[in-house]
Amino acid sequence: MQSLDIISVNLWQIVISLVNLLLLFLILKKFLFKPVKKVLEQRQSQLDAQYASADRAEALADEHRKEWEEKLSTANAEADAILQSAAENAKYRGEKLIAEAQDRADGIIRAAQTEAELERKKAADGIKREIVEVSGALTEKMLEREINTEDHRALIDSFIEEIGDGNE
Amino acid sequence: MRSKSRRLTAVDILLIILMILPFAIGILLKVLTAPPSEGISITGARVYFTIPMPIQDLPITEAQVNSVLVLISIFALCLFMTRGLKVKADSKRQHAVEWIVEKVEGLVKDSMGDYFAGFAPFIAAIIALSALSSLSSLLGLYPPTSDLNVVAGWAVLVFALITYYKFKCGPLGYLKGLAEPVAFLTPMNIISEVATPVSMAFRHYGNVLSGTVVAALVAAGLQGLSAMVFGWLPGALGDFPFLQIGIPAVLSIYFDVFSGCLQAYIFAMLTMMYVSGGFPAEDYEKRKEKKQARKNKQNNIHKENLEVN
Repeated sequence: MQSLDIISVNLWQIVISLVNLLLLFLILKKFLFKPVKKVLEQRQSQLDAQYASADRAEALADEHRKEWEEKLSTANAEADAILQSAAENAKYRGEKLIAEAQDRADGIIRAAQTEAELERKKAADGIKREIVEVSGALTEKMLEREINTEDHRALIDSFIEEIGDGNE
Repeated sequence: MRSKSRRLTAVDILLIILMILPFAIGILLKVLTAPPSEGISITGARVYFTIPMPIQDLPITEAQVNSVLVLISIFALCLFMTRGLKVKADSKRQHAVEWIVEKVEGLVKDSMGDYFAGFAPFIAAIIALSALSSLSSLLGLYPPTSDLNVVAGWAVLVFALITYYKFKCGPLGYLKGLAEPVAFLTPMNIISEVATPVSMAFRHYGNVLSGTVVAALVAAGLQGLSAMVFGWLPGALGDFPFLQIGIPAVLSIYFDVFSGCLQAYIFAMLTMMYVSGGFPAEDYEKRKEKKQARKNKQNNIHKENLEVN
């Protein structure tokens, strides 16, 4: 079996070696880099999708939070309004009650006044009559005789009338 | 059970066998055709048979056979590594193969730029073929990289790539590049163009071959030394080369493992450097823009014509 010289150049061997390297390049490209890169890309896209969905979820949560905060603030305002209206209502009713009470008290006072007036008048009338009777009896005693009661009464009446008028 | 996915399937085992089988065949071929030992003989690759071809006969040598065997082995390794890839990686195999791919792509992008990102498989092919070819000498095979023809083929391919990318800016640009920086240096430039693949081929081939030569010389020398030192021992003990134990192994670590891997790396680095360095990226960009602008202009004119009509 022979051997090549230690330095020997052979065109065909060079070509074969070149083709070998090209072949290995194609093999590595097709069977190593392509599948691995495909998997890497898939992983990347999956990762991207997950990130996107996480972002979406976050945005949704944010939206919800904002909504709730808004609702909460409006609820506060509503509660305030309700409280205010309740307070106003209470105030109004209280005032109304007070006014009614005042009215009624005024009425009572007026009624009492009129009654008192009536009583006073009644009492004055009573006194007049007493005076008439007393003066009649006095006059009878003074004159010591029976006088025409009718005449006297008229006389005294007019007299008392004058007195009463002067008193008033 | 998760371990089910990690267990080797029949196909995996087949692929592993396919990885190892080429080397076994190589060793078998070598053993079957080994000539009787005749002391130190430093020759080129052994010729199995010769095919008559035009221009030059084609001898099928150990180097050719071994490099094809390495090729088959790498193919099987590829298939084995990329089996059962999942989007959610859960096997060491997938982590390893992803690491390799990402490392090579990172290396290529770092030293060549993004434009040459497609070179990653080519660089990986150079490194794998060169390193495994050199390392096959550990198995006692004739390393294909110590045959000038094998490495010269790769260098010619790299030279073609370099020239192709230099021509990307048009033949005029290429010719102008040859006359730089001054016109009378043109012959020098042409020589340096041709010197690139020659130097690459000889560097790689010489390094690996020198390892083999030094290893053979050291082995022979140690045999002689051993005979001198232990020759007084009686019988077969006196003939036994004691000094050949251990010392060649240390040399082998340097010449076969370290030098082989280093030369693969150097060859790949030089390829990247020359291809990306020879490519006039800026001129190419300008040219492309100009072309685009011209195209746009033409389109606009066309549109205007249409509108006018």
